[in-house]
Amino acid sequence: MVGFDTIATPVGLLIGIICGFVPLGIGIYYRHLRPGIMGFFACTVSGFACGFFGGIPMILLSTSVVVSYIYVNRQDPFTSRKSIDEVDFAETNTEFVLRQTAAFGRTLRAMSYGILRNKGGFIGFVGILFFLVLTTFGPLFIEYEGQPRMDRRVPGAMTLFQMPSSEHILGLDFQGRDVLSHIVYGGQTLIITAIETGLMATAIAVVFGSLAALLGGFVDQLLSALSNFILTIPQFPLLLVLASILDFDSHFMLAVLLAALSWPALMRAVRAQVLSLKARDYVEAAITLDLGMAHIILREVFPNMVSYIAINFIFAIRGAMYALVGLVILGMVPLREPDWGIMIWNARSRGAFYNPDAVMMALAPIMAIALFQLSLILFTRSLEEIFNPRLRSGL
Amino acid sequence: MSVASVPGRENSAPGTFSKRLKNLTSSYIFRVIIQGLITIWAVTTFTFVLVRLLPGNPVDIRIDQLQNQGYTYEEAVRQAAGLYSFDPDEPIFSQYLRYISNLARGDLGVSITSAGTPVAAQIMRFLPWTLISVGSALVISFSLGILIGAMMAYWRGGILDNVVTALASILSGIPDYVIAIVIILIGGLQLKLFNVGEMRGGVDPGVQGFTVEYVASVIKHAILPVTTYVLATVGTWILSMKSSTISTLGEDYIHVAKARGLPERRILIAYVGRNAMLPLVTRLAISIGFVLGGSVIVETFFEYPGLGLQLSRAVASRDYTTMQGIFLVISIAVIASNILSDLLIGWLDPRVSLEDK
Repeated sequence: MVGFDTIATPVGLLIGIICGFVPLGIGIYYRHLRPGIMGFFACTVSGFACGFFGGIPMILLSTSVVVSYIYVNRQDPFTSRKSIDEVDFAETNTEFVLRQTAAFGRTLRAMSYGILRNKGGFIGFVGILFFLVLTTFGPLFIEYEGQPRMDRRVPGAMTLFQMPSSEHILGLDFQGRDVLSHIVYGGQTLIITAIETGLMATAIAVVFGSLAALLGGFVDQLLSALSNFILTIPQFPLLLVLASILDFDSHFMLAVLLAALSWPALMRAVRAQVLSLKARDYVEAAITLDLGMAHIILREVFPNMVSYIAINFIFAIRGAMYALVGLVILGMVPLREPDWGIMIWNARSRGAFYNPDAVMMALAPIMAIALFQLSLILFTRSLEEIFNPRLRSGL
Repeated sequence: MSVASVPGRENSAPGTFSKRLKNLTSSYIFRVIIQGLITIWAVTTFTFVLVRLLPGNPVDIRIDQLQNQGYTYEEAVRQAAGLYSFDPDEPIFSQYLRYISNLARGDLGVSITSAGTPVAAQIMRFLPWTLISVGSALVISFSLGILIGAMMAYWRGGILDNVVTALASILSGIPDYVIAIVIILIGGLQLKLFNVGEMRGGVDPGVQGFTVEYVASVIKHAILPVTTYVLATVGTWILSMKSSTISTLGEDYIHVAKARGLPERRILIAYVGRNAMLPLVTRLAISIGFVLGGSVIVETFFEYPGLGLQLSRAVASRDYTTMQGIFLVISIAVIASNILSDLLIGWLDPRVSLEDK
């Protein structure tokens, strides 16, 4: 992301540890040691990985989980055992914030059980985690080899290719460089660009979809026609044609372009969903009770769409990755090592498809891409359980 | 009222012609076709804008290049105009009209890199290969998917169901080029099942005429791309046929058919199978459109001489007229197949066309 560094640094570790003291301190003070320690580790790891961008959000998340263990609602007639007449429902601002934080923490806890519940989804989650850890923490242990290493030529060998050995787990590429180091360093740009695309496409789809459904009339027709138009154009050929005219130099611009092409499918679904939700009894009841637009959108409509949106977010990431790697493999994007797609392109242009010794150079990035995509697909099974309030058991 | 029903006299009675017109315009078929035509027009306009008007468009770049080579601006414009076959003195709108009318006559211009070759002729040369490989892959994977998916739904919960569901979701999650590379690396290089170099191209060089040898050679060269396409798409067909069949099995009319004591086989074929296939048939119609595009990457990897390979070559060598032509043909095929699928679902499932009104 722009100005967002996701390689683990020692400074990040320090930030993470400092952030970790917040949930740990709260946990120790209120005698809830286990969530406190878990929060400490969560903060340390995410701070280590992303610095302030990881540490500070994680303080909020882990602290609210800790608070959810500690919090006791004094107004709740069941906990205070007062008779209903004695209960005073007025609360100060602090109490309100505490209550909301605890509720948020409980939701987070329920969500984490959602990840564990589906076996396939959990495998996918572990897979995604593996790649994130690999790209953020891998650079700490493995040095990137960008220069040709002629000295590694085995006496009598025609090329620098090598099959896996104990020294180089994934073998050497056409310039004698360690394939593993390219795998570790080469995923980051790809994954981040794909996630950016997914975020943008989802945002466009949700905004346009709800606008079309809520406003109706001319806006609806215009947006629907636009989405139909983009849906019918074959995407990959279009990207190829655009690659010859536009300059795909910046990954961010590429993400914008991919997002502009991939929102329509989700937008149509969001539109249909909002249209059908608008007519549901409980939404009409909320409108009749005049609970306010914010409440209706956030509490009544949105929770019913969020699992669907999350699943489509994952699909958008997957599609973006397919297109990105595809463009790189065909040499349509300026090549900038290290990158999994460029590894494949190199493998192809350096004859790895004809040389049995070079198999690792092509197979390693291919496997990385296939496994990452598989993990994404498997993870979508959990998303339903995580985000659907009906499936999520109230803890 | 009686006047209106007499044929040939619609215009005589005021209101009936406009009523008929209204009937026509509100009919499902009419709307589907008009929408498709508008999309085709939009795509052609889009390609025109892309090549002629966008900042950094190929015509301007060409003019710049020629000027750098020492031509005056006038000469450079003439040269570029000759290359892209347009008249530089004409206003841009009438250029656009000429472009559209040329397209309507099937004239896609002349290739830039291989001078003198009409783009339409080039497309006709590469089209058959893509049709053969992707077309047969589509047929194979659709039939396999329908069969296996229906079987899985019928014996759901069994070993077949569990194993194939896992396999199919893995296959549907992997991009097609990954499968292509794995086939080349594992099948060709490690197991030595075939020689990668020999499998390039559409047919063995030197084999001429429509003989048994020729057909065998075509099949041999198509096997790898076809296998890749089938593996890449069959998972999705299986899974959607399975879920569609399962939801059909729960319908009331199936229970009624069972209660009437109809034979099991008849229920499966006439009641379950036909209804479960409905959503898949429309998707098949949509996929037909994507046949022409093939898969650019897979064709490039196997060096299979289809439209996709030609498109990627045209892009790599900046052959804009060829690129434009192929892109137009692919898009129009997709749009046409969308129209087909909409008409098909309207015909197969009358509920759709009624609901839309």
